[in-house]
Amino acid sequence: MESYHFNWNVIWRDWDALLGGLALGLEVAVYSLAIGMIIGQSCAFMMTAKSRLLRVPSRVYVTFLRNQPPLLLLFFAYFVLPRMGIRLGREESVILTLGLYAGAQLAEVFRGALVNIPRGIAEAGKSIGLTTFRVNLLVILPIMFRNALPALGNTFISLFKDTSLAAGIALAELTWQTRRISTETFAVMESWITACVLYVVTCTAISYALSYLENKLRIPR
Amino acid sequence: MQSCSVPRLAAGILVAATAFSVAGAQAQQAESKLYEILDRGHVIVGTGSTNVPWHFVDDENELAGFDVDMGKLIAKALFDDETKVEFVKQAPDARIPNLLTDKTDITCQFMTINTQRAQKVEFTIPYYREGVALLMPKNGRFENREAMDAAIADGETVHIAVLQNAGAEDTVHDVISDVQVDQYEEQGLVFEAVDSGRADGGVVDLSNVMWLVKQHPDRYMLGGKGTLAQSYGCAVKPGDQIWLNFANAALREAMNGRTFPEYADAFERWFGERPPAPQTGFPAELR
Repeated sequence: MESYHFNWNVIWRDWDALLGGLALGLEVAVYSLAIGMIIGQSCAFMMTAKSRLLRVPSRVYVTFLRNQPPLLLLFFAYFVLPRMGIRLGREESVILTLGLYAGAQLAEVFRGALVNIPRGIAEAGKSIGLTTFRVNLLVILPIMFRNALPALGNTFISLFKDTSLAAGIALAELTWQTRRISTETFAVMESWITACVLYVVTCTAISYALSYLENKLRIPR
Repeated sequence: MQSCSVPRLAAGILVAATAFSVAGAQAQQAESKLYEILDRGHVIVGTGSTNVPWHFVDDENELAGFDVDMGKLIAKALFDDETKVEFVKQAPDARIPNLLTDKTDITCQFMTINTQRAQKVEFTIPYYREGVALLMPKNGRFENREAMDAAIADGETVHIAVLQNAGAEDTVHDVISDVQVDQYEEQGLVFEAVDSGRADGGVVDLSNVMWLVKQHPDRYMLGGKGTLAQSYGCAVKPGDQIWLNFANAALREAMNGRTFPEYADAFERWFGERPPAPQTGFPAELR
């Protein structure tokens, strides 16, 4: 340990690659969240529906996906699907995997947000002549979204951190770039310390941005 | 004591000299690990257990591989019995320490001969020359290396998987250039990428390619070898010329002499081809 000689130059030399990796991770997380929200909201409505035909498939999906390590899902999407004739690109595989995974997580979040909306609100919508579909779209959905916002933020941060799994299929995101620098230059401490700091700073910044958004959109009471 | 006669003095000198020479002979014998091993009745060989086809535990739960066969070859040279060997399974980073602390007599564990290591241990002559090679799937995008080269010349993107490592890009370019290099974090994922068609080929150790092509000729083919080479040798604790000479003699004669069939059988068993047989007459290895 005493003999370790720090050489931060190797980090500055590859700084652009590290930031590029970080940006790629954020991009993947944003797309995954978008897919996850669509799936999550659909599942939440299905899970609270009266019809068993809607409830059962959504329940199966959520149970199956939530109890699966995301790395395994990613390997499945990247290495197994091509053998079944489905061939997605590297980045698309990660987005799809994390999107499906987030969908299952968010289904529970949205379902919770949905059942917390007082019945009276939907009834009020109906009493002014809106159809069930329009009540859901115009009245319930915005309230559900606001209820779910804190959990949504956490899911986004978690998704961003999960993008590090994509290093497993050689996607050049932050963790992959870090390992590359570490193995090429043997600057093990410098590269991993830098990656830790970058992850922490980014996640903290996202978290602040989200709490700002939460305050802006808070339901007035 | 004053009346010490000449004959008594002479006898005394004679006894002392005899004792000294006997002790000297014993000391000379005890000085080499070779005699220690012969007295013990078996040789202790350090090797690994997790790298096919070098050293691994086979279907019968026995240690097998080319390194293991080299250990048996040395045992046969010592005792004319290849079972007079005890293998110590060790991680690669224990190769040198176990020799220096006498836990092993000799290490044969795909050890690359380099000058840093040669400052700590003494290497035998090499028993294999490793390089990198391109593993191509038989059912892949390209029928053979020529088809792959033609596609590259046409400007198509060809993906080659490699283990994420220092100089990984250079390693790939030693075998094939103008390709997209995909660096995976584990060797297993490199093979997975080749098997699933994610990569059009993988650059791994030549011995791995030869082993896989031998095991699964219907699935894999050799897509060309690199030019960079490294030698694998056994290693012994430094300072014991007698033991080192013996190990060298055993390996050299296995590659060039009377025991060539044993070496050649092992080579063919693990790498799928027979090495060139020694020629009689002039010892060509000295050319």
